[in-house]
Amino acid sequence: MVIQDTLFVLWLLAAGPLWAALGMFLLPSVNQGKAEKDQISTTTLRIAGVVAGFALGPIGVGLFYFEPALIRRTTLTAGIILTVFVSSQVLVRIINPDLPSGLWLILAGPLWAALAAYFLPRQYRAVEANDQNVLTAAALGGFAIGPLIFGLMWKNTPKISRDWMIVLGSLGAWQIYTLFAIHNATNPCVAAPFHITYLTQQTANGIVIGAIYSLMAVGLTLIYSVQGIVSFAHGQLYMVGGYFSFYFLLHGSNVLSELTGAEISINPIWGIPVAAVIVFIMGAVFERIFLKPMHEGLIERVSEYAILITFGFGFFIEYTTLAIAGPFPQRADRFIEIRRFQLAKTQITEEFAFGPINIIGDRAFTMVVGIVLIFALLYFLQRTWTGRALRATSQDRQAAAVTGINPTNMNTLSFGLGSMLAAMSGAALIPIFAWVPWVGAEMVGRSYVIVVLGGLGSVPGALLGGIIVGIVEALGAGCHPDPSRGAAYKEAFALVIFALVLLLKPTGLFGREQT
Amino acid sequence: MNRKTLFVYLGTLLAMIALIPVGMVQADGHCEFADEAITIGALVPLSAPGSVEGGIAMQWAIEHAASGINADCGIQINGGNYRLEIVVGDSEGSPERGQAAVERLILEDNVDAVVGVYHSAVGLATMTMLDDNGIPTVFSEPWNDNVSANGIIEYEGKPPRIEDGIDHIFRISPASSMVGPVVVNWLLSLGVENVVLIAENTDYGQPAAADETARLEAAGVNVEKLDVELGTEDFVPILSRIQASPETPDAVRLLVTGETSLNLTQQMAELGIAPTGDTICVTNQYAFNSDTYWGTVPDGNYCAFNRVGIIPSLFNDLGTELNAAFEEAWGKLVPSYAMASYDAVHIIANAMEQAGSYSDAATIVAAIEATDLELSQGRYYFDYGSHNPDLPEGTPAFMWHQWPDPIVTVMQYFEQDQSALNAAVVYPEVYQTHGSSYIVPGTSP
Repeated sequence: MVIQDTLFVLWLLAAGPLWAALGMFLLPSVNQGKAEKDQISTTTLRIAGVVAGFALGPIGVGLFYFEPALIRRTTLTAGIILTVFVSSQVLVRIINPDLPSGLWLILAGPLWAALAAYFLPRQYRAVEANDQNVLTAAALGGFAIGPLIFGLMWKNTPKISRDWMIVLGSLGAWQIYTLFAIHNATNPCVAAPFHITYLTQQTANGIVIGAIYSLMAVGLTLIYSVQGIVSFAHGQLYMVGGYFSFYFLLHGSNVLSELTGAEISINPIWGIPVAAVIVFIMGAVFERIFLKPMHEGLIERVSEYAILITFGFGFFIEYTTLAIAGPFPQRADRFIEIRRFQLAKTQITEEFAFGPINIIGDRAFTMVVGIVLIFALLYFLQRTWTGRALRATSQDRQAAAVTGINPTNMNTLSFGLGSMLAAMSGAALIPIFAWVPWVGAEMVGRSYVIVVLGGLGSVPGALLGGIIVGIVEALGAGCHPDPSRGAAYKEAFALVIFALVLLLKPTGLFGREQT
Repeated sequence: MNRKTLFVYLGTLLAMIALIPVGMVQADGHCEFADEAITIGALVPLSAPGSVEGGIAMQWAIEHAASGINADCGIQINGGNYRLEIVVGDSEGSPERGQAAVERLILEDNVDAVVGVYHSAVGLATMTMLDDNGIPTVFSEPWNDNVSANGIIEYEGKPPRIEDGIDHIFRISPASSMVGPVVVNWLLSLGVENVVLIAENTDYGQPAAADETARLEAAGVNVEKLDVELGTEDFVPILSRIQASPETPDAVRLLVTGETSLNLTQQMAELGIAPTGDTICVTNQYAFNSDTYWGTVPDGNYCAFNRVGIIPSLFNDLGTELNAAFEEAWGKLVPSYAMASYDAVHIIANAMEQAGSYSDAATIVAAIEATDLELSQGRYYFDYGSHNPDLPEGTPAFMWHQWPDPIVTVMQYFEQDQSALNAAVVYPEVYQTHGSSYIVPGTSP
């Protein structure tokens, strides 16, 4: 082992295993002198100590020691991810790059994942233990730690909490990254010293576009949660929202210019509410005419009807738009005149510099718009009577009706709102992409992946799912060993996530079990 | 009104309605048309994922050509005037949909000839069907080398397929191997050493990229090739990869069509990759639609693009008329594939007149081979076919039934919102309009 990397030596001194051991030993003492009800479990404190010490050294341990209130699931998760990342960096440097990944395939990897996923759930059922999440944990555990997962889960059949999943998932991801780094030493995602900047850039790309994806997916999940149907017109509603915004901006600017005699260009931000109102009405009217009979028992084959009628609605919108707007690509003006935001390059050590990180100006703005709109929707759903009524209808239509909520109106509202959200994301994106009448096709496919990943019917799930899909696509395209194929497979990376979620956790991250 | 009178009125009305089309067939102003009409199939993409904009422009040009021919009393064969009817098949840009459309054109619509085709994948998938069914065909836009070679690639060095019968497929768009050298030679003349090629994952993009890569590498240029899927909107992750390369590329060349190329070009410009003082941007010929280009690529000033087809300053009278009609219909400059589609209909019509038949495929093919016709893109002729079956040593197989003279140029915008009519032709030197082979960003020619 030859350590040539100054940064690595620095880390060994300033953080790493030494501080991890210290943190594990030190942190349980924060319980001293506290009433039993205020105490934090020793295991949690030890984990927090290891994570904080390993990743951030004395700073991390100090933070948790003096502010134990910070020891929460979110901080621990962030710590675990950071620890996994840092330790993978360490391994890349100290492991012999010629180590065959065959060894990993024998000791862990897919074979053990399959075996664990097959046997462990059976064992849980045999002893009548709580088998929730066991399949996922078994697969992740087998993948990450091989036969050891049997040792952990077979006899004691512990209840599988979310923390289990995070730890096992992080371990698996860490192993993949390490193996990847060993075999692709020149890949920009692992080649020091630039890889930290590059990974940050790609993660930022993913978060920005992911937040934008989320907005569209949220509409889809809202319709599903209340009505139990998947709208196949969602892509076209997204598309037509962009067009409504575009033509409003075009004609509105012309009218204002004529009235004032000066050249006036309306900012695309104003196109968003216009598209929202028009498409909300479109969606609500469509629901009243074509979906209401379905809920009133006038349609025999409800599922098939819902698919076909929304498909038909989508085709109608697409081809009407093609006839009116034509096939020529359009694009609205910029939201902001800043072409890109740049975090300048910073020299940290002689060998290591961080940056520059570039984010396209309009994308950053759209991301903020998307997140604000999603939080506004969450506020509406959580804090207003109508929002609560929508949620109540999504949980139990009959019970909601008993309390005075009109489920028919809630259906119309949900479809209108869902359509409106698609249109708003279209109106937010028309300054970013070339807009054509079939632009929704790619986006809607991704939305299905996002809502399944986040959990059908879950708004926070859609937000998180969008960001995950964005990051996975960005890192997949950016880190693929063959640059030539990386871009071509971009959409496929999201589909891999889709397949894994369906296989391991069909309810998604925040989805409810069907009762 | 009694019942009998009512029946008489109704009967008369119905008879009049029934006679209207007959009258239309029999007489159209000054022309007396034969009862039968000649039917030409137009195979164009009218739905996504195909290039709908291209398909609509081609359909317009084909129908415009047909209405012009009909206004001149149709196709004259053996003293009769035959009205030309166009039946449109939507290929959707996909091979299987293209095959289904061709099957319908042949079996249900009984077309006498076929023109059009935008995507190479559709051309490759349908040419055998068209050939097997004896349909004289003139393709006007696919670029894949094997389209006109039509399997002749296997016969390299031997007399072409004439041994197997008549080859019904002709092409008046260039082969990729006719376009590639122009752009490559231009880049080489500028002294590039590192080039990033971004190619769409289709039967057009991949062979074209392979051809250009081979030519560049043979000249000692380092080439990095990236593949993308048509329809993708967000290219930032892959463009970040280019930014992360240790060496800044001297040129980024896009072999990507349609709105995908517009998104890619704009994102490349937004990220500051190209066009810059260090990196040349070579985008797709779609940039020639200047209104669309500036509307969707506002940061794309100083991008160069290859232009296939005659340049506006060289338009002949017919080209000028066609351009005026297209501008009136669509408010845009006529694209080369619309001009080629227009010309393809005239080539077929002329061949039928020369052959004295609209149904004898062998005679029509022979007449197309003998074409010598001045149309909107220039003089059409075919060097190699059954009339001249021996391709000389070194002549590529795709020259069989291939119009040899499509003009390929490299153009470059140098002012924001500039019309394509005013963009500089920078290569080949013989067509240069501004005395410069490259306008460095930030400067004027």
